[in-house]
Amino acid sequence: MSRWEYFVKRLLLTVPVLFSVLTFLFIMLRAGPIDPVAARLGPQAGAADRAQLRERLGLNDPLWEQYVDFITDFLTFNFGQSWVVQAERDILDIAVGAAPATLWLGFWAILLPLFIGIPLGFYAGLNPNTLGDYTASLGGIIWQALPNFWLCVIALAVLRRTRNDGGLFGFDWYTLGPDFAARDISITGTPRLEWISTTDVLMLPVPYINDWTALAIDIKLILPPAIILGSASMAAELRIGRTAMLETVNSKFVETAKAKGLSSRVIVWKHIFRNALIPLLPVITSEAFLLIGGSVIVEQIFNINGLGRIFFQALTQGDLPMAGALLFLFTVIILGLNILQDFLYTVIDPRVGYDQ
Amino acid sequence: MSTRQSDSTDGFEEPDDDKLFRDRVRENPRPAMVWTAGIALLLLLEIGRVFAAVGQLFGIVGFTVDLLASVPASVGGNVVGTLGSAAGFVATAITATLMAFAVTIPVSPSVPDAAVDVLGLDLSRRGHRWAKRAELTFVLVAVAGLIAYTPFGGAFSALIGAITGGVDALASSLPAITSRDLIPNAGHRLPEGGWEGTFLGLSPAVAWTIRTGLVFAYAVAFLVWLWRGFNVYRTHYRLADWTPRDDTVRRFRNNYWGLFGFAIVFLFVVLALWAPAVSPVEAQHNIYEPNAHEFEYLSEDGEVTSTTHVFANLQSRSDGQNTIGPMSYDDYGRWAPLGTTNRGQDMMTHLSYGARTSLVIGVTAIGLGGLIAVVLSLLSSYYKGITDIVTVMASDTVQAVPALLLIMLVSVVFQEADHPIAQPLDGGLLLALIFAFAYWPGMWRAIRGPSLQVSEQEWVDAAKSYGQTPFQTMRKHMAPYIAGYILIYGSLLIGGVIISTAALTFLGLGINPPTPEWGRLIDGGQSYVSTDSWHVATIPGIAIVLVVIAFNALGDAIRDAIDPEADVDESEAAATGGGA
Repeated sequence: MSRWEYFVKRLLLTVPVLFSVLTFLFIMLRAGPIDPVAARLGPQAGAADRAQLRERLGLNDPLWEQYVDFITDFLTFNFGQSWVVQAERDILDIAVGAAPATLWLGFWAILLPLFIGIPLGFYAGLNPNTLGDYTASLGGIIWQALPNFWLCVIALAVLRRTRNDGGLFGFDWYTLGPDFAARDISITGTPRLEWISTTDVLMLPVPYINDWTALAIDIKLILPPAIILGSASMAAELRIGRTAMLETVNSKFVETAKAKGLSSRVIVWKHIFRNALIPLLPVITSEAFLLIGGSVIVEQIFNINGLGRIFFQALTQGDLPMAGALLFLFTVIILGLNILQDFLYTVIDPRVGYDQ
Repeated sequence: MSTRQSDSTDGFEEPDDDKLFRDRVRENPRPAMVWTAGIALLLLLEIGRVFAAVGQLFGIVGFTVDLLASVPASVGGNVVGTLGSAAGFVATAITATLMAFAVTIPVSPSVPDAAVDVLGLDLSRRGHRWAKRAELTFVLVAVAGLIAYTPFGGAFSALIGAITGGVDALASSLPAITSRDLIPNAGHRLPEGGWEGTFLGLSPAVAWTIRTGLVFAYAVAFLVWLWRGFNVYRTHYRLADWTPRDDTVRRFRNNYWGLFGFAIVFLFVVLALWAPAVSPVEAQHNIYEPNAHEFEYLSEDGEVTSTTHVFANLQSRSDGQNTIGPMSYDDYGRWAPLGTTNRGQDMMTHLSYGARTSLVIGVTAIGLGGLIAVVLSLLSSYYKGITDIVTVMASDTVQAVPALLLIMLVSVVFQEADHPIAQPLDGGLLLALIFAFAYWPGMWRAIRGPSLQVSEQEWVDAAKSYGQTPFQTMRKHMAPYIAGYILIYGSLLIGGVIISTAALTFLGLGINPPTPEWGRLIDGGQSYVSTDSWHVATIPGIAIVLVVIAFNALGDAIRDAIDPEADVDESEAAATGGGA
């Protein structure tokens, strides 16, 4: 089977998967142990209200009709309105409004580990069994085991402690870079992302940055949560980068390159570095899982009004349709990323095939 | 040794020099008897706790049986709602029969063949097998029906009640060397100095240290004796001088990083198993029912007075203003080796019972998820085709949803509905089941490659053509080869389960109070990290980090020990806990 056939097969497999996810959500939200009417109205509601809501939600229809309605609604992104969290607002509007903050967080949470984890891993792999290797590897092991939520708690406590130069670390997070203390903003909160605007160049809108201070503020706001959110990926990248480097260094073609008399600089950059990147690709794309799962915790603790925090609020305040809709959106994103990963793999690494 | 025995009962001819384990022990009984006497002595020292454990096991089995027994009736109940009561009865009967039949498949090979001959039918091998299963199913359903619908059921449950009651009575009356009665550490100061009610009149701190030290000494002695048992077996009773397992053990023993992991995991397990002994106050008094229990203390005006735990806890909170730090007494003479929580309860008690919660959830989730993964990987690699595709789709579906969010949603749905399954451990069991549901696809994917490889081997073909049943082929000729892989992934994943449980409890979605859990401690202490009460959030956090590192190290070491060449992709397994 050629690799493109394999790719198409993977692509086709996502369709039934999407349907079974929807079926699962339907069972959980409609046919599951919870009564949607009671969940919305509470136990004290009168019988008339209940009957009315039952009719409005379509709960008196036959189950299969409800199922078809549910699936068509979700597939057309027609999620209806939020019940509690932002009552009577369209769920899709809420999600679109919250997405930029999460994207900004995710962007940095992918970028930072890439530029810390991979170089450290490659360094450790190039110098195996040295003190530097052991330090980096041990650091990676500990970093991976640190629970995000605990790191958030500790990091916030430490950062708050640095106020008014009272810190143990000799810096004041509030005044470092853009001065938060003078502007009277909290070190936690939602980035406003108001520094970007577009200008028309030859009729095409081109984004440009109009307020560098606002950009700096947003970066500073997002840095601590992004580092914590990326911590596990950073450790994974370090470990796998190290192994990949070690394997590539000891492979035959590197020996050949040495025998040819290439300089070690050329060997490292041209022959080792590029090949060692291949096993890291799935790690980088699978980070999306961690980011989406972890964003709930990090956004909740750092007060960022992103998708994760809204999902959490929907759950704790009993807004189950909204939670289900958000979960479906996340699933669609992940399925899309999986396809992207398969596509990249098919393009980058010609060796990948469907072999059992 | 047990596989050897079962091999012989399956009708394989044993060579003459291949004696049974039982015979070899009979020939040279001394080492075995010494070892058995040792283990008996060790168990006798803790006989009270052994019976307590047996009682808890009974409770777990009883709960599982109750839950399974309620499945047919609830299926029937659902059908009654739409199709009427007759259809409901049929649905109940069908579900019960199907469940009984599922039980017979693994059981029937160990039932003697003579059971079928009673019918007097002339059957092929295959027909014989199905007849035996059908017969067993009939017997099971008949017994179940007898218990469920006739007065015989009342007598049966009375018998069960008598047995469990007897075990519980024994558990509370029999002594144990690490029991609170033998080395009490709860007492009060005397006006003239010294302590009343503690072990030998020592201070509670010393009494607690002695008891905890004893617990760990006992656990280490037990472990050493088990290791000795393995060596006795190896030198005296094993036929082969060398097996591949010896190399596995040797590689593990020389892996210091793995031994470090093993040591921490051992500490964690001991902390969980002996939680009642290592906690300085009884959890029942201090955490679960602080209203109902009083204790005596020396008040400031020099009189011995008594108060309830709930009042004393209010005064001993570690909430920034007040702090009862590690290694100190509170105002009521209660020893707090790790300080108190933000609600004034004892941190050490919380930590040890929280370890118990984490361990139960982790082992249940990984055990159940691993079981599903192994069964499905055996089925899908044996039958291939449509079975394989359906499994791929099911696992893709579960994996397409972000695990942590899926767990949150399902947990909230069941807890909001107050489903009976959310009752045990205040949601802990529910969480374990959800983890098993969310994590089996990962484990299944990890062992899919190896099991496909094994299913292509010639010995599997040979077993098939020899006429072995599919179940026997999978159990004897395929499962042993993937057992090692599932062990590796299990120990790598269990750290992720512990982190996720703590994270969910931290968010208030996991385990509800009063069941102790480490994540709730961190939640309670999060505002006080930079105050004097820093220990409330820091100690459980460090505990989680240590335990997770240890499980990861153990998993790595098991992998290296089982197969140093194994090409195991660890990125997926180890990263799962990272989302939390």
